[in-house]
Amino acid sequence: MTYDECRAKGYDFIVGVPCSCFKQFIVDLQSDTAMSYIAANREDTAVAVAVGAYFSGKKPLVFLQNSGLGHVVNIVSSLLIPYNIPIDFLISVRKEPFEHTHMYKITKDIVSLLEIDSQVYLIDSSSHS
Amino acid sequence: MTRLEAVQAVLDSLTNELLVVTTGYLSRDVFKIKDRKENFYMCGSMGNAYPIGIGLAVNNPDKRIVVLSGDGAALMSLGSLALGNSLKLPSLQHFIVDNGKYASTGGQPTCADGIDFSQFHNTTVYSVSEDEPASPRITLGPIEMAERFRSCFV
Repeated sequence: MTYDECRAKGYDFIVGVPCSCFKQFIVDLQSDTAMSYIAANREDTAVAVAVGAYFSGKKPLVFLQNSGLGHVVNIVSSLLIPYNIPIDFLISVRKEPFEHTHMYKITKDIVSLLEIDSQVYLIDSSSHS
Repeated sequence: MTRLEAVQAVLDSLTNELLVVTTGYLSRDVFKIKDRKENFYMCGSMGNAYPIGIGLAVNNPDKRIVVLSGDGAALMSLGSLALGNSLKLPSLQHFIVDNGKYASTGGQPTCADGIDFSQFHNTTVYSVSEDEPASPRITLGPIEMAERFRSCFV
């Protein structure tokens, strides 16, 4: 999803942790003076900031690399699901080098197990280096 | 000062502020002492009450946002406290009740003696030493808690 596509979907608050494949996305959102953006330092922190934005009436989007998906398992399971808080995710999916390979295999299953399938945009960046 | 005295001191300082309370005993204490629709009880998600406060404060610069954490929760997401130091949101206030323990799991020690919480943005630390029994569990359901809190904003 490009930044323009993201804007067209109505997101008005963006918080995330960088991935190399979000370089242009982050450049574009930082140049959009109408967009609120927080650069988070961990993925669960990003989700929590988005929850604060949701309570404030915003439509937030959280972006992260799939390597950080493990960091959101608890906040999705103990906050988003039981409290019925809808937060959408933009997740880049890395395959190489070796440290990404296993998470690449299990990313879709984790998203499915977390029951956030309908709220996730996966970006296949498997060939990204 | 005891844990309940610290919670009482925080609650006494509030008028119409929005309050996000961490998981564990502190949420139960606040619910027992002074439940109000402006309170959000974040059961679970340990360490994430403060960044919820960041998301609230960024979007509501005209409202005072208060977060109540324990030392264990604050330690679990120290990076979010650094984010708070970086953003310096003037309307965001953080109270940390520091008993040096994970009280609700049996009083095991935390490593809070390894950090000075007062270095963080708008942070007040209450060092509490006495053990007190847990307050009763919160009787509100999670969806009710979230909808009630959100209604304060939208």
